[in-house]
Amino acid sequence: MSAAELTPPEAARWAARSGLPLPPERHSAVAATADHILSVVSVLRELDFGDTPPSAAYRACAGEERHDGAV
Amino acid sequence: MEPYELSVADAAVAVRTRQLSPVELVDSVLERIERVEPRLRAYTLVTADHARSAARRAALEVAADGVRGPLHGIPAGLKDLIDVAGMATTASSRVRADHRAEADSAVAARLSAAGAAFVGKTHTHEFAYGLTTPQTSNAWDQGRVAGGSSGGSAVAVAAGAAAFALGTDTGGSIRVPAALNGVVGLKPTYGLVSRHGITALAWSLDHVGPITRTVEDAALVLGALVGHDPRDPASVPAPSVDYRPGPGTDLTGLRIGVPGNYYFDRVDSEVEAAVRHAIGRLEALGARLVEVEIPMTRYIQATQWGLMVPEATAYHERTLRTVPELYAADVRVLLEAGELMTAGDYLRAQRARTLMRQAWQRMLDTVDMVAAPTVPLTAVKAGQSSVTWDDGTEESVSDAYVRLSAPASITGVPSLTLPVGQDSAGMPIGMQLMGRTLGEAALLRAGHAYERTGTARGLAPVP
Repeated sequence: MSAAELTPPEAARWAARSGLPLPPERHSAVAATADHILSVVSVLRELDFGDTPPSAAYRACAGEERHDGAV
Repeated sequence: MEPYELSVADAAVAVRTRQLSPVELVDSVLERIERVEPRLRAYTLVTADHARSAARRAALEVAADGVRGPLHGIPAGLKDLIDVAGMATTASSRVRADHRAEADSAVAARLSAAGAAFVGKTHTHEFAYGLTTPQTSNAWDQGRVAGGSSGGSAVAVAAGAAAFALGTDTGGSIRVPAALNGVVGLKPTYGLVSRHGITALAWSLDHVGPITRTVEDAALVLGALVGHDPRDPASVPAPSVDYRPGPGTDLTGLRIGVPGNYYFDRVDSEVEAAVRHAIGRLEALGARLVEVEIPMTRYIQATQWGLMVPEATAYHERTLRTVPELYAADVRVLLEAGELMTAGDYLRAQRARTLMRQAWQRMLDTVDMVAAPTVPLTAVKAGQSSVTWDDGTEESVSDAYVRLSAPASITGVPSLTLPVGQDSAGMPIGMQLMGRTLGEAALLRAGHAYERTGTARGLAPVP
């Protein structure tokens, strides 16, 4: 296990901080799945977004981007 | 030919000309359901009484005033995420065991107004969060997966257990099961069809659209579904377009992009051969083929997951705390792990989508549509969880099935899948045509022209 990987107790603590208490038998599976998700999404950190806004919900009007992201 | 075998277009003509009563048509489909359902399990609920009563009403209306339109008296299935007043919307989940919808969803109301008769609610992978729909069997081989998440809808249509059905698509959930069952599926432009009254998977990615046996049928159903709805924050005004394709097959002047990257990487050789052959047919019909480069491919899965996972977890926040044990294991762990994603992860995915939409718009400025495989492999045997590609890489079946359909879900561009052959095991192969924003009519025209070259296989031969 690399230093970056979540341990089951860490996963439980993070979930609890999000308001989701996990029973002990869930800790390992949630840690492994959360690690896998992070390994997929963390590649987005390579992108230089500059001034690019998010698109929380958008309208697909022809040829133009209308941002409705209430951030 | 039995009435249940008719396409929507042919059934509509038969009803309009009084050669076939909606009551006979609905009865025929209900009998077909009774015969094939024990093997396929496409439906969570068959609403025979509801359908017969709609059919009787349609018969009286047709006799008195003629048809309202092409869906009058036509039997339809609805994915069981779609509310119909008075019926449960189970989402194929024990979490929804006691559910009852108070009102019609926008799409159910539109189809009712068009005169359609609902024969039942179709199975979904639980809450649409998966690509196989394990309760349901593939229409062509009951030992293989239906695909998902709109597996029940695609299987019902392929087997003649509905004239058409509606599905929803967040990363490929209309197109994947349509391709795996040899039928047509249309994921419309984001916001073109209202999602009001449909259980969400991920609001910023969710779409609803038709699953049919022909491209023309998809056009007929789409025409009944579109329209601005202020209750859906993504809703766009419907363009004044007649989606029904004309009889002509001349595609002269149409520029079809053929991806030089991504869409033919790690794709089964029989799937690639069938799709390239189909693209050749489009060229023979007059289309000009142009090689295109798919942008930002390294970030497709990350963007899809970065949007979908936290949105799905947010939707299920309450029930994940009160009744977590009622979710299936695969869905529960994804919802739980989604709690650990940060706002930074989510915002990066949203910003990546902005960049990807812009890059796709630039690419689609150079061609009218892009043609590619819908899924990289045909329906796998039930229980198979991964696939090993020629380059030695291993991929989960779910990741493989969503890989080629996710870009149109992220960018919101329309995508039409249609059957283009079968592999050596007899399993259907799908090709998708992805177009410009609100460019459904062009996709339907090209797909219909392809279909007119004689590619239809008919119903799945369910014993």
